[in-house]
Amino acid sequence: MLFFLLKRLGMLALTMLVVSIVVFLLLELTPGNVAAKVLGQYATAEQQRLWLEANGYFDPAFERYLRWLAKLLTGDLGESLCYKVPVGDILWPRLLNTVVLGAAVLAIMVPLSLTLGVIAGMREGRPSDRAISIISIVTTSVPEFASAAFLSALFVFALGWLPGTSAMSGGFDWRELVLPVAVLVLYDFGYVARMTRASMADVMTQPYIRTALLKGLTFRVVVLRHALRNALIAPFTVILLQVNWLLSGVIVVESFFAYKGFGALLLEASLFGDIFLIEACAMVAVVVAVVTQTLADIAYAYLSPRIRFAGGPV
Amino acid sequence: MKRRPSAVALAAGAGAHPAIPDLAATARRNAADRRDFLRTATLLGLSATAAYALAGLAPGTARAAAGASGGTLRISMKVQEMTDPARFDWTEKSNVARHIVEYLTMTGTDNVTRPYLAESWSASEDLKTWNFRLRRGVRWSNGDAFGAEDVAYNFRRWVDPKTGSSNKSLFSGLSAGGVEVVDRHTVRLHLSKPELAIPENLYNYPAAIVHRRFSDEGGDLSKNPVGTGPYRLAEFSIGQKAVLVRREKSAYWGPRPNPERILYIDHGDDPMAGIAAIASGQADLNYEISPDQLELVQAMPQLQLLEAATAQTAVARMRVDRPPFDKVAVRRAVQACIDHDRLLELGYRGRGAAGEDHHVAPVHPDYAALPKQRQDYALARKLLAEAGHPNGLELSIDCRSAPSWEPTTVQAMSAMCRPAGIDLKINTMPSEQYGDIWNKTPFGFTGWTHRPLGVMVLNLAYRSAAAWNESAYANSAFDRVLDRANATLDIPARRRHMAECERILQRDAVIVQPLWRSIFAVGSKNLRGYRLHPTNYHQLGGAGLG
Repeated sequence: MLFFLLKRLGMLALTMLVVSIVVFLLLELTPGNVAAKVLGQYATAEQQRLWLEANGYFDPAFERYLRWLAKLLTGDLGESLCYKVPVGDILWPRLLNTVVLGAAVLAIMVPLSLTLGVIAGMREGRPSDRAISIISIVTTSVPEFASAAFLSALFVFALGWLPGTSAMSGGFDWRELVLPVAVLVLYDFGYVARMTRASMADVMTQPYIRTALLKGLTFRVVVLRHALRNALIAPFTVILLQVNWLLSGVIVVESFFAYKGFGALLLEASLFGDIFLIEACAMVAVVVAVVTQTLADIAYAYLSPRIRFAGGPV
Repeated sequence: MKRRPSAVALAAGAGAHPAIPDLAATARRNAADRRDFLRTATLLGLSATAAYALAGLAPGTARAAAGASGGTLRISMKVQEMTDPARFDWTEKSNVARHIVEYLTMTGTDNVTRPYLAESWSASEDLKTWNFRLRRGVRWSNGDAFGAEDVAYNFRRWVDPKTGSSNKSLFSGLSAGGVEVVDRHTVRLHLSKPELAIPENLYNYPAAIVHRRFSDEGGDLSKNPVGTGPYRLAEFSIGQKAVLVRREKSAYWGPRPNPERILYIDHGDDPMAGIAAIASGQADLNYEISPDQLELVQAMPQLQLLEAATAQTAVARMRVDRPPFDKVAVRRAVQACIDHDRLLELGYRGRGAAGEDHHVAPVHPDYAALPKQRQDYALARKLLAEAGHPNGLELSIDCRSAPSWEPTTVQAMSAMCRPAGIDLKINTMPSEQYGDIWNKTPFGFTGWTHRPLGVMVLNLAYRSAAAWNESAYANSAFDRVLDRANATLDIPARRRHMAECERILQRDAVIVQPLWRSIFAVGSKNLRGYRLHPTNYHQLGGAGLG
């Protein structure tokens, strides 16, 4: 287990390094005048040159990269060109906002999709299964920007029940969270429900379920005691992987509802070519991806005794 | 012969320009229309009320029904960095700042410029010497008295190339040495060439007056928001919000504005977000909507549509020093493919006026009508062959993805070019990216804001080596005629010079200008006392919620 974690930690460091180099190179190759962005587009050429020189932009790219890397190792993320404040000052509050959004999505999506998936999977082919499957497929096939527009048209413009944007300019307001959460849940629950259904249906055809039923146990007891634990192994890892999606996949929703989260920040930083901010966002995304995958692997091994960590006892 | 400044004009400060009696007589005879008189007279230092009376008009402009005092006015608009007003390059930046720092003059929604921090002004007969008498009793928010030293500091800063302010080309006849402090409340400008639009230029958005120690105290308005304006900056976070709180009644020199607080909320780049915010009661006003959102807004009873006729536009400009546009025949060929009326229909639903490829708008007082341009494919093909492209030509134009009417219009242009054998490819990109290349790309579609006089934009964008001359157009003959237009007070006479400027620009085919557009914004139904300014400047003093 310790060996596994160390190996994963090494992987994490390596992935971060590779991603940071790729991001740096991509931004290096994209045409754009950093000085004009910082000083305004009507600054004189001389002014721009002075700024570039003062900020070390005339040094070779690898030197600038190594300087950034050295700073990163000391915890200094650099200063945002667009927001003119240290990257950390803007990144962490935005990340926290997305964590709030993601937690709300998971809190609704997980029970909903597991329940529906189990109901559909335990009686495969029944009307309840058909209905849940159709709903899941339809909602998952509608992209977020379409469902966001549809829900806004209905609840904001036609009925006037909900606020149309979620900038939280007057402080936290749960009503502003309803539509972004609804759009994300609508998009994602069908996928997890389908995974759960498939897993459940698979378990229900296993010989030990038939044995339990033939033993005379009630259907309810068989499902709750025998089927569920085995059926939930696969959905569990899928759900953990959704955490990763919730971090970077929320760009559309955050932008549509003007929610000040990580996705919207990444979009603004990319549009502006804000190099240190993009790098910091990329690093956070890598950490979250690797950590959730590691957690999924550990949980999978714990839930399913057939899986062992590499290097452990066979 | 160099004319001496008129003693009458300079001695009294508030004295009327010697040309005003003649102008008034002309206005009454309707040789120049009354609006033109009004504008020119107020530009020359006559108060707006007196000018209205001289022209035989009822004083004042019709104000929208007054709003109630107090409360918070919430506006959906991008909240960008707000470091140095002299270096502002987006109107949005100035809209937050203009409640903190103020201008010497103020141009109203009726395009008439009135006194603001300058109580009155006067010009010499040759329009080379300008005298500004400043308002007394104005205090900065840090307690200092406002005076001539502050104003002189700003002028000197603007014309210093190190500042990098677009004001430098706006006041191209001014050098740091030409700024004279006459006394504590009077500043005199000595220009190297005549300039009519000085008062108008002083309300251009990067011309807000900052404190005389602005640079010494950090040079960042968002961190050290010292101003003479009626509001103080209570909260500011880029990309999120700006909160402005009304100062005490005794602390501000002018009439008390209605809103107690102004809250700017950044809803990002999606224009629908601002509309949704107003529709659901989260905001009272937004910055701007595009014409393709008109129908949506009109269908919603909880919204009111605000509209202003403007000289705002976007021009497809060609770098005359880059191939293939270094050949005038190529530029003329592109021009000959265009049906401007149709472009207005296709690009902007007909809401505005057709462009004429010379960047002077029919709403400008100095506009001169030229013979109408016609779409002529035979001519276009002939010109292409002349330029060495008998089998057609492939071109690429850079264009912003938003506002949406811009790519739509460029698409229509591209379709119009095809029959002549010009394959116009469109390269759309985010605004930020276009901001990097707007004056470098060989062929680009650049948005231009409204300016109250035709000469102003010609000075900024088409004079040789002007700071915003994005087409690298350099024509000394054009510069000379433009100088004459700048120096001509009499409106019909100035129009004759402008007609020549317009003809030269059209003939040299520097730009294809599809249209002049009306602008629109959205307010909530209970927003009162607010009129949309043709330049999107937020003048919120009379605004309130009913």
